[in-house]
Amino acid sequence: MKTAFAFAAMLTAAPFLTPLAAGQAHAADSSAPLRFVLIPKTVHPWFDKANNGAQAAAAMISQTTGRKVEIEYRAPQTADVSSQNDIIERAIATHPDGLILDLLDEKGNRATMDEAVDEKIPMTVFDSLPPEGMDITAVGADFCEQGTMAAERLANLVGKKGEVAIMMGVPTAPNHTLRAECEKKVFAKYPDMKVVATGVDNDSIETAQKQASAIMQAHPDLVGWVECDASGPVGVGQAIREGGKTGKVKEVGLDNLNDMIQLIKEGVAESSASSRPEMQGYWAVVSAWQRAMGQKTPKYIDTGIDLLTAKSL
Amino acid sequence: MSLETTVPAAPSQQPPKLPPFKALISRLAVNPLGGVVAALVIIFGASCALSPHFLTTFNMVIIARALAFIGLVTIGQSILMILGELDLSVGAIGGLAGVVGGILMVQLGLNPWLSLGLCLLMGGACGLLNGALITQLRLHSLVLTIGMAGVYGGANLVATKGVAITGVPRDITFLGRGLVMGVPVPFLVLLVCLAIVAFVMLRTPVGRYIYAIGSNPDAARMLGIRVNAIRMGAFALAGFLSALAGILMVARLGTAQPSIGDTWVLGPIAAAVIGGVATTGGIGSPIGAVLGAVIIGIIEDIIVLFGISPYWQSVVSGGIVVLAISFDALARRYLNRDAV
Repeated sequence: MKTAFAFAAMLTAAPFLTPLAAGQAHAADSSAPLRFVLIPKTVHPWFDKANNGAQAAAAMISQTTGRKVEIEYRAPQTADVSSQNDIIERAIATHPDGLILDLLDEKGNRATMDEAVDEKIPMTVFDSLPPEGMDITAVGADFCEQGTMAAERLANLVGKKGEVAIMMGVPTAPNHTLRAECEKKVFAKYPDMKVVATGVDNDSIETAQKQASAIMQAHPDLVGWVECDASGPVGVGQAIREGGKTGKVKEVGLDNLNDMIQLIKEGVAESSASSRPEMQGYWAVVSAWQRAMGQKTPKYIDTGIDLLTAKSL
Repeated sequence: MSLETTVPAAPSQQPPKLPPFKALISRLAVNPLGGVVAALVIIFGASCALSPHFLTTFNMVIIARALAFIGLVTIGQSILMILGELDLSVGAIGGLAGVVGGILMVQLGLNPWLSLGLCLLMGGACGLLNGALITQLRLHSLVLTIGMAGVYGGANLVATKGVAITGVPRDITFLGRGLVMGVPVPFLVLLVCLAIVAFVMLRTPVGRYIYAIGSNPDAARMLGIRVNAIRMGAFALAGFLSALAGILMVARLGTAQPSIGDTWVLGPIAAAVIGGVATTGGIGSPIGAVLGAVIIGIIEDIIVLFGISPYWQSVVSGGIVVLAISFDALARRYLNRDAV
């Protein structure tokens, strides 16, 4: 037991006796590759698309400047602020030339971002807003505008009357909550429209499908759906198709996952208010690169929202 | 481990002198914590050798601070496992304590330290409720706590509507973010809690009763041990420690996030098993369980430092955990082969 305690004590003490040995960021060394760490909210196909855009930007910069740019993609396994903070801190420990973050909650991420500031690591955020008072470029689209666009589209499709339902994403995700609030505000404008049910899919296609099927059973007069995350529209679309309600129940989805596009092509979903993840990843890297070069960058880069329809695809 | 009886060997039965390496393996193998310590040393050494970013003060502080939250939950869970019980609602209790703390401090304007105390009491009460339902209704702890996790998690969402509570007073943020002589405060809290619990488990009758109940509850009852009271107390302690982890996380983040505790369910159980706690009860120690949590923490750290693809992370971390568990068994088998 004493031996084990001695080992344990040595391991406990070791961290606090070791000197700082890691190398510093090497942006100033014009020949060394530039290394940026991209940390999304969680593992999800939407962030894969953002990563694709980031890799494209890195290739473009490498080709244009002749200096290699590397993007390291480190995604938390769950959409949890403390897990994301752990990943950010560990990325800081490797002293990259920049951090590109999709913040889960700017207030909850603040303390960890302060550590990056202390370590003089420049940051860029995408698909989210930076903490108040931090001089960081944000790349993204307006979540409220996206929800509003989807809800207005659905309202027009159903003649601004009838029972509709909203599929919430993760109740604790601020962007999902904001979209839901803005969608509710749109429906509240029309006295003949009523939100009769709100499902929670936790960003899971399977859960969205189950919830949507149950809600459509309980509300046979339902005329339409809007959602708040990328998984919800896919699950709701599958439930509409399986329930034989294609055309009777309208759906306006969100984002541009392959399944979503397929549902539009099949006529199950009428359209989708889609952010542009590839463009967000691309411009986040461009901004991070400019920061690493010591240049000033804009406060906000709006990558816009597309309305995807069968015609436009 | 504390119930092991040592029988002195007769002079004629002196074991043969082993070569130094085998002697080291032998000493580690007979030590209840030997396997996990050896696995930890190997993983720690390999990490130092493979990444220049691993053995830095900054990274060690990160590991220590992340360990503190999961470590506190692991202590409570390990005691329950030694008793032959499990509590799958510990994460939900931690999350609920965190948001209740946020409500008390921010929305009701209560003194932060009073709020902290109330949250800890609430966590203990939640754990006690679990224990009372399990012992009085004779329910299986696994099934009951799955249901209670839904109740506590649902209460969290009812209270917050899924929205984080911001504006936590700076008075308590030191508990989550502060450093004392370079050591994160939450890690110091973990060490204090571990020392107290280890003392109780190894040096007091209550600790011996817990091992006895975990080994054979019927026999323990026949010996006059108040089995149900101790089980309820252990559940209350697990709830208390989870609430402590939850409130420390609120202090760390500066906001009361409804998602706090979502990842504290399986990790502590895995840590306890790696640390030598038997899922069948009666064997193991909180120290071993926390060392198991250190192994998991290092694995999570090196996965990021090495830049392993997010899609491979679970495969890699799961594989290393299996290797760590196997190491103990292999070392013992190696020794036993020589002894035969």
